[in-house]
Amino acid sequence: MECNVKSEFGYDLLELGGEVDLQYSPQLREKILNSLKTGNPLLIDMAKVSYIDSSGIASLVEGFQTAKTSKLQYGLLNISNTAMQVLTLTRLDKIFNLYTSTAEFRQKLQ
Amino acid sequence: MTAIRKILEYQFPACAEQMGGVRQKLREALGQCDQPEAVVNNVVLAVGEACMNIIQHAYGQSDKGDILLEVEWRTSDKGAENGSKEPRNLIFRLTDFAKHKTCAEQMRSRPLDEIRPGGLGCHIINQVMDEVALLDRQGGHGNVLELRKHL
Repeated sequence: MECNVKSEFGYDLLELGGEVDLQYSPQLREKILNSLKTGNPLLIDMAKVSYIDSSGIASLVEGFQTAKTSKLQYGLLNISNTAMQVLTLTRLDKIFNLYTSTAEFRQKLQ
Repeated sequence: MTAIRKILEYQFPACAEQMGGVRQKLREALGQCDQPEAVVNNVVLAVGEACMNIIQHAYGQSDKGDILLEVEWRTSDKGAENGSKEPRNLIFRLTDFAKHKTCAEQMRSRPLDEIRPGGLGCHIINQVMDEVALLDRQGGHGNVLELRKHL
């Protein structure tokens, strides 16, 4: 799993890639929660996610709830087909804010 | 006539670090069945969820052991004789040797309108697979979970 957080202008961008499973989802959870603790909105780029299971999805949901409580914008960007299959199966594609460009997310911050 | 072919038999330690290798073996085995990528992705996901349940709930923190994963590819010409599509099934059998007895209640999906982390694994298994059954394991403790995908 690759999981790097970059500070962009006015928000954090978490680039997620590879296989996000039970072995790696605790790391993802920690990165998401640490990023949200800074008080910045968070956008998670999922273009390079080749596999994600329910433990990875649980980390994304926990981030979603934390962001909501903290009134921070939180979104998922460019979701890969395999990750979208899992979001659809769990009907979370209707819950998360999904973006196809960083510009779209930045617009939301204004 | 029904043809049964075992396409995978793989025993591995029940721990998260093994799961990448298990998925790879499963994908290789499923390659023999000539199924669309979306179907393969979904069944690999569901079997992964079932393994995760065994690791987290059957063995848990206090027990250790293996998981035996067996995959069968069954094809029958019975349907073809009636002019319908040939029925084909993928059968996944997961055996664990844990002291904890898994009950059917633990395999139920939770309501999805509760937006909270966790508890989605059983929902994924039930969505992807056509049949989910907990079988008695003969001789010694442990559980057998059988998942069937009709194709």
